[in-house]
Amino acid sequence: MSNDRGPRIASAIHSLIDHLVPGDLQDEKDAAEERHEACFQLVRSVFERPGSPAISSDVNHASDLIKRKLIQSNPSQALRFSNLYTRLLSLPVLNQKWAILYLLYQLSDSPDPNEPLPLSPLRQPVQRAPPRLAEKSSRASSSKASTSAPIPEDEEAFNDAFAPAGLKKLPPEKSKRGPDEEPQAGPAEDASPKKSARDVSLKSTLLADNSVEFEPSEITLLRDLPFALQGLSSTTLPFSKETSLKLPPTLSSPIISLLHTLAEPSLLYRGLGTFVKSPAKGLLGQSLRAAINNELRSYLTLVATLEGQIRRALSELDETAPRGGIGKAGVTLKRCVVWTREATMGLRLMSLIAEESNSKQGGQLITLIHGFSTSHGDPVVGAFAERLLADVTRPFYDILRRWIYDGELSDPHLEFFVREQSPNNEDRKESKAKGQASVWNSKYEVVDAMVPSIITADFAQKVFLIGKSLNFIRHSCGDSQWVEAYSKTSSKELKYGDTATLETWIDEAYKTTMQRLMQLMSTRFHLFDHLQALKNYILLGQGDFIALLMESLAANLDRPAGAQYRHTLTAQLEHAIRGSNAQYDSDEVLRRLDARMLQLSHGDIGWDCFTLEYKIDAPVDVVVTEWGNRQYLKVFNFLWRIKRVEFALASTWRKCMTGARGVLQTSEEAVLQTWKGTRGVLAEMIHFVGQLQYYILFEVIESSWTELQKNIHKEDCTLDDLITAHTRYLTSITHKGLLGARRRQHHDALKEAAAGLGPGGAAPTPAADTEDRNSYMVQLSELLRTMLAYRDSVDGLYSWSVSDFTRRQEVDAVGLTRANNNAHAAAGRNGKTKAPTAEDDPDEAGGLGGRTGPVKSEFPALQERLRQLGSSFRTRLQILLGDLAYQPDVDMRFLGVSMNFNDVYQPVRRKTAKGGVMASAGGGSASKV
Amino acid sequence: MPPPDERSEKQAAAQQAVDILHEISTILNCHLDRRTLSICISMIENGVNPEALATVVKELRKEGQELEAGSSAAAARRR
Repeated sequence: MSNDRGPRIASAIHSLIDHLVPGDLQDEKDAAEERHEACFQLVRSVFERPGSPAISSDVNHASDLIKRKLIQSNPSQALRFSNLYTRLLSLPVLNQKWAILYLLYQLSDSPDPNEPLPLSPLRQPVQRAPPRLAEKSSRASSSKASTSAPIPEDEEAFNDAFAPAGLKKLPPEKSKRGPDEEPQAGPAEDASPKKSARDVSLKSTLLADNSVEFEPSEITLLRDLPFALQGLSSTTLPFSKETSLKLPPTLSSPIISLLHTLAEPSLLYRGLGTFVKSPAKGLLGQSLRAAINNELRSYLTLVATLEGQIRRALSELDETAPRGGIGKAGVTLKRCVVWTREATMGLRLMSLIAEESNSKQGGQLITLIHGFSTSHGDPVVGAFAERLLADVTRPFYDILRRWIYDGELSDPHLEFFVREQSPNNEDRKESKAKGQASVWNSKYEVVDAMVPSIITADFAQKVFLIGKSLNFIRHSCGDSQWVEAYSKTSSKELKYGDTATLETWIDEAYKTTMQRLMQLMSTRFHLFDHLQALKNYILLGQGDFIALLMESLAANLDRPAGAQYRHTLTAQLEHAIRGSNAQYDSDEVLRRLDARMLQLSHGDIGWDCFTLEYKIDAPVDVVVTEWGNRQYLKVFNFLWRIKRVEFALASTWRKCMTGARGVLQTSEEAVLQTWKGTRGVLAEMIHFVGQLQYYILFEVIESSWTELQKNIHKEDCTLDDLITAHTRYLTSITHKGLLGARRRQHHDALKEAAAGLGPGGAAPTPAADTEDRNSYMVQLSELLRTMLAYRDSVDGLYSWSVSDFTRRQEVDAVGLTRANNNAHAAAGRNGKTKAPTAEDDPDEAGGLGGRTGPVKSEFPALQERLRQLGSSFRTRLQILLGDLAYQPDVDMRFLGVSMNFNDVYQPVRRKTAKGGVMASAGGGSASKV
Repeated sequence: MPPPDERSEKQAAAQQAVDILHEISTILNCHLDRRTLSICISMIENGVNPEALATVVKELRKEGQELEAGSSAAAARRR
């Protein structure tokens, strides 16, 4: 068979050579012969080489290969091919159909032999292939960011897939090989490199076909690329400005677009480089720069790897190949684009963050990055931001740790969400003016904008409280030992990532701190004792003490305010304490109690200026603030006035009652009638004052106190809760106690009114709107004033009655003396004594007559005044009742009911009676003046 | 020797096969003309390894192109 075939093959080779390598016409015949011979030898040697084992003689396999190829390149042709293929199969003539198909497959997409410019890609690949493969594997392992070039891998997989042991077959018979065949290395060893080399060469040939040479060449570009990627200028790719890269103008647009893609990381790197070097605004800014710097370093590692690859590839290039043989080197611009893609994403994100960070600081920065890590759709971006966050948040957690374990704010750049309040803050000024500022709630504040999104608002509030409490314990309560011990025992390293643990730690810290603070407040600073004392003394809870104080002071206070001396007041106070149950109170409480005078104003008497004071000092004043003190004072003044009126009314009543049995007895009908009416009005007034006092002491103060007690003895009560509860307590007392403002925003006006209350009931009535707003306050003080005026009038009536009584007595006495005298005269007949008596008589009579005239005219005036004051009291009370009846608060409505339990008054709606009220109020004050 | 009619029939079938194969080669961009194709077919039918043959064809083509380039260059020089 081989005998038969040998020559046939040889002749076929000859004809093939003749056909493919046409003899040159101009050449000598010898040369042509020679060349022909050379070709023949070449062909033979190729044939005699051992064939590839990777080919199986399966027809389907070859056709599958073709089909796959066609489907990839142009699917429409694939259909046509399968038609042709079935027809081919039906033909009986050919035995080696698969081989022919395989040949065609191998020859497919080969360059057109008629192309004028010959390219010779086929010579090198055989030698080049092994290093190429080695390089490939090394690349796959070395460069982390490179998505290793897909083409060679596919090939490899391809070869592996189609060269399984079962299919391995050597189609040509052994006999076909020539006798001079040299034993070579095992077929499996060199075949596959050869094959893949051929594939690569095919592809590169294709590339070469489609490419145009350009200047500067790809090699030059590749050489300069690493520099550009590091942000350095090079000859072909110079950075013209800080933010622009100049591309050579001679390049074609595809290359330009590739370079555009590659320019992005370069420019971003450059920008980030300057950002990293720029001075940071705060600690978080610094850490952000450090984190970005780290990322840039890993980017540089990538660039270095890339550079290594490029160098190696370039050193192995041979310049003769098309496009400098770049296609086979394994490193092209396109690949560089692919390898730098992921890094570019990272750089892009970082430069975005860097840009945004300029306008943000502290918590906002963390929020920004955290936003990327949680809400960005791309998991790569998310992971990247997460990584960045771990580094960036480090200073934040440092500050946090210092804050929640030491209570110190070590935040030089104002990056934490807790911040010291600036003294010239508008809000603060306002709250200071209101007296609500204290060390506790004005030293630090939470800046909502700075709370990073990694912690919730609740959580931030907790953190804020912990630190504030620790700070408070350390600085205001003077218990820094405990804080130090605490921070030593429980201080923990906080860092980003483990939110659940962090939360439990913070909860723990919160509990410990709050417990400690409350304990300090109640045991060391006697907060609760102080509150109790305030209620007892300032809110007149301790009745015996107040009664004694008032009795002993009454005489003193009736004198003008200028005649009040502090030492007498304190002496009386001491007396009241010693004489009442107050003496059993603790020293701690009693030494804080002080009596003093308020600001004097002209014409005040002692009653208007006197005030009792309870001094609150450092740590406790966070609960009983300046504002609170003022509220207490206000309530005290009010109660004190009521008490005074009650006292005055009571003493007058007593005088009247005792007088009724002696000096007031008269037979004159008009006087009797007046006294009766007066007593009635007095009883009304006493009833009113009693009801008012009862209401304020029991309905208002006691119930609020119970509420407060309930709130502050809760298990998990914090100082903040305490402060809130106390504030609410005071507010409810002032509000329900008819002292409160209806509208908050006019606080200042109210303060004026409150201040006006102190210096005296005769405070100038504030503007009309103030009066309207503060009506209870004004109405009550008007009522009280009316009652005092009435009481004065009653006293006047009393003295008139007494003098009237004396006059009558005298008249009686004169009558008696006269009678006696007459009797005497009659008896003695002494002319001597008569003359002076007669002399005296007209004197006396004139005197009496002169006195009787005014006395006579005094009574109607008194009568009239009493009547006027009584009716004005009544009107005012009715208006007050009218207001009370329409109160939303049940307790206050009830006050109205209890005052008017038998419907003796007709409550008047203020709206309809307004004009009348104003007039009567004016009349009242006018009449008073 | 097959009888003449059988022979002509076989020739026709071979012709048809060459046609089909040529068409496939066109689809695949092989740049093979009919003559080269038929030589190749006959060689493969005679048991030549197709892979080796592919190499040979490419080599020879290159040879031819080089020669042509050389000669054209020479011609250009001569001119």
